[in-house]
Amino acid sequence: MADATKSARDRLLQHLIAEGAIVAALLAWWAASRSLPVYVLPPPQTVARAMLRFVTDPQIAYHALVSFARVIASVAVATMVGLAIAAAVRAAPVLDAVVERRILTFLNSFPSVGWAILGVVWFKISTPTVLFIQTAIILPFCIINILAGFRQIDRDLDELGASLTRSPLRRFFKLTLPLIAPFLMAGIRIAYGICWKIALVSELFGASSGIGYLLMRAQSTSDAAMVFGCCLVIVAIYTATDHLILKPLAARFSVNQGLTS
Amino acid sequence: MTDAAPARKSRPGWSRATLLAHAFTVLFLLAWWGYSKIVPAYQLPGPWLVAQRIVTFLRDPDEMRELGLSVVHVGVAIAIAFGLGCALAALAHWVRPFRLLIDGRLTPFLNAFSGIGWLFLGILWFGLDSFTVIFAVTLILLPFTIINVRTGLQEIDSDLLELGRSLSRNRFRSAVKIVIPLLVPYLFAALRNSFGVSWKVVLTAELFGGNAGVGYLLNVARQQFDTETIFAIIAFILIFVACAEIVVFRPIQRALDRRYARG
Repeated sequence: MADATKSARDRLLQHLIAEGAIVAALLAWWAASRSLPVYVLPPPQTVARAMLRFVTDPQIAYHALVSFARVIASVAVATMVGLAIAAAVRAAPVLDAVVERRILTFLNSFPSVGWAILGVVWFKISTPTVLFIQTAIILPFCIINILAGFRQIDRDLDELGASLTRSPLRRFFKLTLPLIAPFLMAGIRIAYGICWKIALVSELFGASSGIGYLLMRAQSTSDAAMVFGCCLVIVAIYTATDHLILKPLAARFSVNQGLTS
Repeated sequence: MTDAAPARKSRPGWSRATLLAHAFTVLFLLAWWGYSKIVPAYQLPGPWLVAQRIVTFLRDPDEMRELGLSVVHVGVAIAIAFGLGCALAALAHWVRPFRLLIDGRLTPFLNAFSGIGWLFLGILWFGLDSFTVIFAVTLILLPFTIINVRTGLQEIDSDLLELGRSLSRNRFRSAVKIVIPLLVPYLFAALRNSFGVSWKVVLTAELFGGNAGVGYLLNVARQQFDTETIFAIIAFILIFVACAEIVVFRPIQRALDRRYARG
C-alpha cells in the first residue's frame, strides 16, 4: 500500500518535471523570440501558424503528401531488395562473404550526399531520382536486419517445411516470412526513420516538390518560420506514424515470435 | 536447441567464400570500367581516372587540409555527443524524477528530428561555418548515443550490482569497478555507430552549411560538374571509413565479444 502511493507520487513527479520542462522550453522560446529578429528565432505562435498551413493550404499539404509517398515507396523497394539479397545468401551460403564483406561494407561507408549528387548527375531531377537516392541510403539497414532474421531460422523448421510442401513459394509465405517477421519489422522501422531524418537530403537536390524542397525554398528566402514548421511537421509525421502503425506492428510480430520459439 | 551450428572454420589459404568475394570486387571494377567506356566521362569516369584523382588529392596539401578539417568536425561532434549522451543517460538512470523527461520526451523528440532540419536551423543561427557543421552532426548523433547507453544501463544485471553493494558501500567505487566495465560494450557500440553515421552526414552538413571540409570541396566540384573529383572524394571516404571499420572497430568488437560472451 505504502509502496503503491510512493510509486504513484514518483510517477506524478516524473510527469510534473517532463511536462514542466516542455512548458518551460516553450516559454523560454517565446521570451527569447521577443528580443531576437524573426528570421533568427520566430515566436512559437508564428511557427504554429506555419505548421497549420500544412493542413489548411492544399499546396503545402501536397508537398508533405509527396514526401510521405516517396518515403513509403523507398522503404518498400529497399525491403524487397533486402529480402532478395538475403534470400540469395540463404540459398547459396557461399555468397555470405560477398554480401557481408563487400556489398554491406560498400553501402555502409557510402556518404549519403554522395548518392544524392550521383543520382542527380545520372538521372536528372525527378521522382525516380529521389527514390533511387533514398533507397540507396536505407538499403544497408534493411539488408542487415533481414540477414539477421534469416540467420536465426532453425534449420529443423526448414526441414519440416520441406517435408510438408514442395512449393518454395508456399514455404516462403507460410514459414519463412512469419519467422523473419520481427527482424523485417525492425528493419522497416529503422529504415523508415532514417528515410525521414537523413534521406530527405534527396529532395534538396533531386526534386522540385516535397518537404525537403520546401525546406530548401524557405531557407533561401529566409523564411525561418517555415524552416521551423517543416522540422516540426517532420517530427509530428514521424512520431505519429511510428507510434500508431509501426510500433504496434512490431510488437505484434515479436509476440508471435515469442510463442513459436 | 540440439547441437549448435558449428562456427565457420577459418581454414588456411583462401576459402571459396573469400575467393568469391575477391572475384566480386574484380567483377565490380571491370563492370565499372566497361560501363565508363560507353557513357560520357562527366556521367561516370573510369576507375583509373578516379584512382589518379585520389593520388593527386593525397598530394595536394590544400585538399588534405580540408580532409583534416572534416576529421576535426567529426571528432569534435562525436566527443560532444558522446559526453552529453552519457550524461543524459546517466541522469535518466540514477535520478528517477528526470527519467520520463529524458526517456519519454527528449530522446523521442531528438530521434524524430530531421538531420537536415538541424542543419538548416544551424545555418539560420550561426551562419555558414564549422560551428554549424559540428552543431548539426552532434544533434544527429545524440539520440543514437543516448539510446545505446540507456540500453546498456538497463541491461546491467541487478544481481551484480547487489554483489557490488555487498562488497563495498562506496557508490563511486562500485560505479568505477562494476558499472563502467559492464557498460564498455554499449559505450563501444555507441562510438562505432556514431563514427559510421557521422561520416555519412558530415559531408551533407559541410556541403550546405560549411565553408571548409571535404563536403565543401564536394560542393565546388558539383558546381563545376567535375565528376572525377566527386567520385574521387566519395571513393576516398568509402575507403577511409571501410578501413577504419576493418582495422580499428572490428578487432575491438571481436575482443569485446570474447571478453563479454556469456557462457
